[in-house]
Amino acid sequence: MITILLILLALLGGIALSVQSSVNGRLGGAVGVLAAAWLTFVLGALISVLLVLFAQPPQELTLLDAPRWQLTGAFFGVFYIIAMVFSVPQVGIAAATAAVITGQLTMSLLIDNFAWLGNAEIPLDLQRWCAIALLFVAMALIYIGNRKRERGENAQ
Amino acid sequence: MKQILTLCVVFAAGMGLSVEAGLLGPLGEMVGHMSATFCIFLVGSLLLSFALVFARDRALREMFSQPRWMLSGGILGPVYVVIITSVTPFLGIGTTMVAILFGQIGAGLVLDHFGAFGAARQRVDGYRLAALALIAGALALIH
Repeated sequence: MITILLILLALLGGIALSVQSSVNGRLGGAVGVLAAAWLTFVLGALISVLLVLFAQPPQELTLLDAPRWQLTGAFFGVFYIIAMVFSVPQVGIAAATAAVITGQLTMSLLIDNFAWLGNAEIPLDLQRWCAIALLFVAMALIYIGNRKRERGENAQ
Repeated sequence: MKQILTLCVVFAAGMGLSVEAGLLGPLGEMVGHMSATFCIFLVGSLLLSFALVFARDRALREMFSQPRWMLSGGILGPVYVVIITSVTPFLGIGTTMVAILFGQIGAGLVLDHFGAFGAARQRVDGYRLAALALIAGALALIH
């Protein structure tokens, strides 16, 4: 039961991400992707300072007590943004989206399987292999759909 | 050839997103989910400020002449990061990522269909609808 709730919460996260990238896409068109990403992160920092100060129970350990490698998450996020800025004009949004999601899913299953970075171990069983097959077809469909749209936009 | 190389870089960037989520979960468990979220946005802001100094486009000064709603996308960023930080320790990275993917593709379909936020209207197409159904199936299998 609690699992279903958590999955719904993750779904909500995906919806937030989609709305955000839709709004940011418009901003990026006007001021550039990098500036749009910068504003997103600065606003995010402001909001999360408020959350730390007013919405978080006191913790025994602070960020400065954590091993430094655990603080490097943002480097990966920023690398992603910059990689997209340079590659989308070259390969198109359809291929770039499919490649990102494939990379994301591959790595997430590896982290689960090998319990990397201090995460719990969730082995890659038969069910998960079946899920990978479904996701692979889904990726192909998204790629084809996006590709058609890109062609349509170019033709207009 | 260059295209394949570019795709490899993008693939690696996608892997990085999962590494980010993989780092966030345990960090949030240790120092608090809000602090972990703060760490992402603080370091990210600093890195992007740095990148902006050397960026070629000089559109920053036009930022605040845009309609205000366009500037509000960033408000949703912390929602997403707080959610992945608190959810991954319980669901694992794989399930979390597939659930997020489902929400993302589903919401994308709806937003496009209604042409939300001034984007061009795109009717729901069979490809993405079928993809969404397959992702739902994968989500059921994976957790």
